Amino acid sequence: MSRSTRKHSLVKRQKLTGWIFLIPATILIVATNFYPMFKAFLLSFKAGVGANMKWCNFYNYARMVKDTVFIQSLKNTFFYLIIQVPIMLILALILASMLNDRNLKCKGLFRTAIFLPCATSLVSYAIIFRSLFAVDGFVNTVLIKLGILSTGYNFLGFPTSAKIIIIIALIWRWTGYNMVFYLAGLQNIEYSLYEAAKIDGASPLQSFWKITIPLLRPIILLTAIMSTNGTLQLFDESVNLTNGGPANATITMSHYIYNMSFKYVPNFGYAAAMSYIIFLLVAILSMIQMKVGDKRYEG
Amino acid sequence: MMKKRIFAFFMITTLILALTSCGTEDKKTDSSSNIANNAMDTTNDAKDTKDSNATEQTSGDNTLTVWCWDPAFNIYAMEQAAEIYKRDHPDFALNVIETPWADVQTKLTTAAASGDLSTLPDILLMQDNAFQKNTISYPEAFTDITNSGIDFSQFSAAKVAYSVVDGKNYGVPFDNGTVIACYRTDILEEAGYTLEDFTDITWSKYIEMGKDILNKTGKPLLSCTAGESDVIMMMLQSAGASLFDAEGNPDIVDNPVLVKVMETYAELVKTGVMIEVNDWDQYVGSITNSTVAGTINGCWIMASIQTAEDQSGKWGITNMPALDGIEGATNYSNNGGSSWAITSNCKNVDLAVDFLAKTFAGSVEFYETILPSSGALATYLPAADSDVYGKPQEFFGGEAVYAMITDFAGKTPSNNTGVYYYEARDAVATAIANIVAGADLKAELQNAQDTVNFAMGR
Repeated sequence: MSRSTRKHSLVKRQKLTGWIFLIPATILIVATNFYPMFKAFLLSFKAGVGANMKWCNFYNYARMVKDTVFIQSLKNTFFYLIIQVPIMLILALILASMLNDRNLKCKGLFRTAIFLPCATSLVSYAIIFRSLFAVDGFVNTVLIKLGILSTGYNFLGFPTSAKIIIIIALIWRWTGYNMVFYLAGLQNIEYSLYEAAKIDGASPLQSFWKITIPLLRPIILLTAIMSTNGTLQLFDESVNLTNGGPANATITMSHYIYNMSFKYVPNFGYAAAMSYIIFLLVAILSMIQMKVGDKRYEG
Repeated sequence: MMKKRIFAFFMITTLILALTSCGTEDKKTDSSSNIANNAMDTTNDAKDTKDSNATEQTSGDNTLTVWCWDPAFNIYAMEQAAEIYKRDHPDFALNVIETPWADVQTKLTTAAASGDLSTLPDILLMQDNAFQKNTISYPEAFTDITNSGIDFSQFSAAKVAYSVVDGKNYGVPFDNGTVIACYRTDILEEAGYTLEDFTDITWSKYIEMGKDILNKTGKPLLSCTAGESDVIMMMLQSAGASLFDAEGNPDIVDNPVLVKVMETYAELVKTGVMIEVNDWDQYVGSITNSTVAGTINGCWIMASIQTAEDQSGKWGITNMPALDGIEGATNYSNNGGSSWAITSNCKNVDLAVDFLAKTFAGSVEFYETILPSSGALATYLPAADSDVYGKPQEFFGGEAVYAMITDFAGKTPSNNTGVYYYEARDAVATAIANIVAGADLKAELQNAQDTVNFAMGR
């Protein structure tokens, strides 16, 4: 009897210790994350200039539907999402499985080289891409010297090419980052599986489709959600690489929200409402991806 | 083995991280490409605040903290002002924190919106175009200096108007942005033209000669940043027009002057007389690398032009072209300019006011000191009579350019910025980008007007 109560209190005490360890982090997250989020939610129902805000119900949300710049930024962001995320993830997957080959020499070197772009600051790399693709920049100089172009092409001056440059920049910056996740995932796949497949006469392509992809599914899901999230919040590239131009052709939602808060007459209520739309979009997209991608509970 | 490799990998990444962050810190701050330095500024600020605390402890309440952005220009002027003020007030100390304009705006908005004004400096420099927006949005962040003893009648009235809200003065005028047209006289000569040919002309004449120069020398006459509407705003103001009417309503689609400006701009691009570049650095580069044969901008551009020391004597300055067939069109305009504002966080308003009154608003000697090396043209009227303004400038062909620019300043029509100035500017910049790409002018102007109306909540 007494033994069982002691056991009970031990479990209780252990649980308590666990909670105590959780408290500091929980308080910090609530105070610095959830509380501002809640305040921003309230703010999104207010309108007014500067600090003089008044309740306005759903005015800000209704307003968004009629905001051509916001709709343009929404379209741009989804354009980046639909084109860039799949290309980047497939590329990362290919690179990761190539680097996972036991017979490859200098693996560490390649791995570092591909991961390195992630170590550069977002602003610096965006500025470097901007000067690379300038009319008298490196890319144009090379193309002219090779005889492909006769005069410099203004890559950032046309809507389509400017969008493509942003996508190229994003792929350069983030492929290595996702590759590291895949590499870590691949460490958990028994190498003997590949050897067995080889003995059974499977081609490398077959073992990629039949072994790598299914076993990496949780990691692919994770990277897909993270990339979707990151792309919807894209900011630095739009600000520094193209400044949203030409004629708002590359502006992202976050960039527009920033302008609304800091460049124009400050309208924090409207900016908060737009932020909540991004939040909702991320939540919905992640849910869809979870539904499609997570097969853990199926037979 | 594997562990070692992973360890090495992380070491390299951290090293590179450290290296790249150092790299950005070395970058020079430029008034236009300033977002790049956001990250670095925060670290610098932390350092600077510490410094200011240190000085405060030693010198009591005689320290003023100031935010401004250009080391060759307004920071230099501020420091010279402090030198002059120190002669009578030896215990006075000044702490200038280099803050790019975009950061000043962001920090100001953050401080005012959160209601915590304690992060603001005593004095900050504000772009004239943003003065109305900020003082109307956050009146509690600024100190009313109407009856502080500063004599505002000593400044040109058009300039003071930027910093007056509801009849109250909130700013001490500093530099002005009188528009000048600069030409490379050696290139003009090559094509058979002189500076005379470009003085008191209209845009049609400008384009005609520009085409000829482009044919003969391969150099366009003008460059500008795509997506910015500086050139448009300068043309607009030169005819006394603005994007808003007197009641503050957007006046875009039915504005005959703006239509003419848009047509002129589109023609400049189409004929190749003006080239569009993507950012400020490329713009300055196109001037200093002799890619273009001239430029038109506020007179503060002279500081950038003079960085090309090998081009000394090859530059000439005159007035800008006027719009064709527009009533009230002149050859004079304004682009930029700024004023000093005292924040409500200033603990020692009397000191701040006295400092500004005895230097920026009261010392001809001060303006004589800063003019030659910074080109900071005063809007302080008594300074214009000074001899220094009449001195010939070797870089600009030995002309007394400062006297000339002061003369231009007096002839510049004033404009109406309004609170929603930046919204309107961006809307018009979007419209011109589409028009240059071939869109219909009327439809684009209608879009721009709708955008501004939308921003104003109509």
